[in-house]
Amino acid sequence: MALVTTEFWAQGDFIARSVGLPDVPRVELPHPVAGSGAANLAAVAKQTVPLIVAALRGDA
Amino acid sequence: MSIASTSSTELFATDEAAAVEKLHELGCTDGLPVIVPTSERVARMVLATGYDADLVLGEMGPNLGECSIEKVAAAAVMAGCLPDHAPVVIAAVRAVLDPRFDLTEMQATTHAIAPLIVVNGPARDWCGLHGGFGALGPGNRANASIGRALRLAMINIGGGRAGTSDMALLGHPGKFTMCLAEDEGNSPFEPLHAECGFDASQSAVTVLGVDSPQSVMINIDADDPTCADRMMRSFASAFSNVAANNASLRGGQAALALNPDHAAFLHGQGWTKAQVRERIADEAVVSAERLAASASYLGRKPEVDWQLPCFTKAEDLLVFVAGGGGLYSAAFPSWCAGPHKNQAVTAEVEVGQSCEIPGFAT
Repeated sequence: MALVTTEFWAQGDFIARSVGLPDVPRVELPHPVAGSGAANLAAVAKQTVPLIVAALRGDA
Repeated sequence: MSIASTSSTELFATDEAAAVEKLHELGCTDGLPVIVPTSERVARMVLATGYDADLVLGEMGPNLGECSIEKVAAAAVMAGCLPDHAPVVIAAVRAVLDPRFDLTEMQATTHAIAPLIVVNGPARDWCGLHGGFGALGPGNRANASIGRALRLAMINIGGGRAGTSDMALLGHPGKFTMCLAEDEGNSPFEPLHAECGFDASQSAVTVLGVDSPQSVMINIDADDPTCADRMMRSFASAFSNVAANNASLRGGQAALALNPDHAAFLHGQGWTKAQVRERIADEAVVSAERLAASASYLGRKPEVDWQLPCFTKAEDLLVFVAGGGGLYSAAFPSWCAGPHKNQAVTAEVEVGQSCEIPGFAT
């Protein structure tokens, strides 16, 4: 499972194809996340966890 | 017109100008016009390498592209290289393909870093490489073309394209080309490649990922016995300021280009190159308190004000002689990241692979 911010989504696609894993599960995060404060990180986590679970189940 | 592109796909265009436009459209250039790599031109460049066209040197990341001699030759043609330059281009490519170089990570990083190519030995002369005034600036064909060939290989074979796989947030102009010769003729010291185990009569390239060069002003005073020590502090400060990754991340390699005047002065004062490296490494420290007071620091403010060395060992500072004589030498801070922490790789320029063909280099 890869968590990739919007700004780096295209790079994630490129690397996934390059290493032969085009379907590797990925979840998109807003950008930027780093340094955005505990409150925002908690909000992003709350929003993202269901997406991660869905991606791992293959539902996404 | 048939174009042998670096992706091994044969392209067709009605004429030279249309071919250049096609290569621009396909994202195969560095943004500047290129020499169209026609099948004939690429074949001539392959011949100059002395290797078979389909010999694979390795995989080039982040695209993990198969790096064949033919593809590298196409990049050299596009960059404007002469056939005489081909062995140096091949050596530079072999250097960056060495796993210690961490090319995939270097291409993908958000930091502004580019490969600096330092050429030593007789190849400097047969290629016409320049190590004096403005060696990293415009005007010298060999310097410009060889460095550009490596970049075009990194774009077309390695797949390094801005915003999708080359994630440098701003980049720097050295990403177009950054190649020079060590000015061995004006250096009192052992040449860089000889320090790496090569015989001085061999040719070699040393490649290191670096930031853009930082001019360091040095006012020599032969009457001042402390002058050499003060020089060392000036050089060290280029690496130990908190804006440099050498201070915030630490532990990588970096480079220093001494201009011939500064090298001669130090040599005259009895300094060896090893002593220069050791002293700069000793002086290049950053206090944890100062680092923690900046935004470059990751982590909590330390309870003890440790003095953190920028270099793990003195040998991590590459020192060579280049540039014109005068006030300024140049420091090249670096990235200090990747699995191998930004290591230099030196590769021999292999010249016994090809036979001489009269008029070939013209």
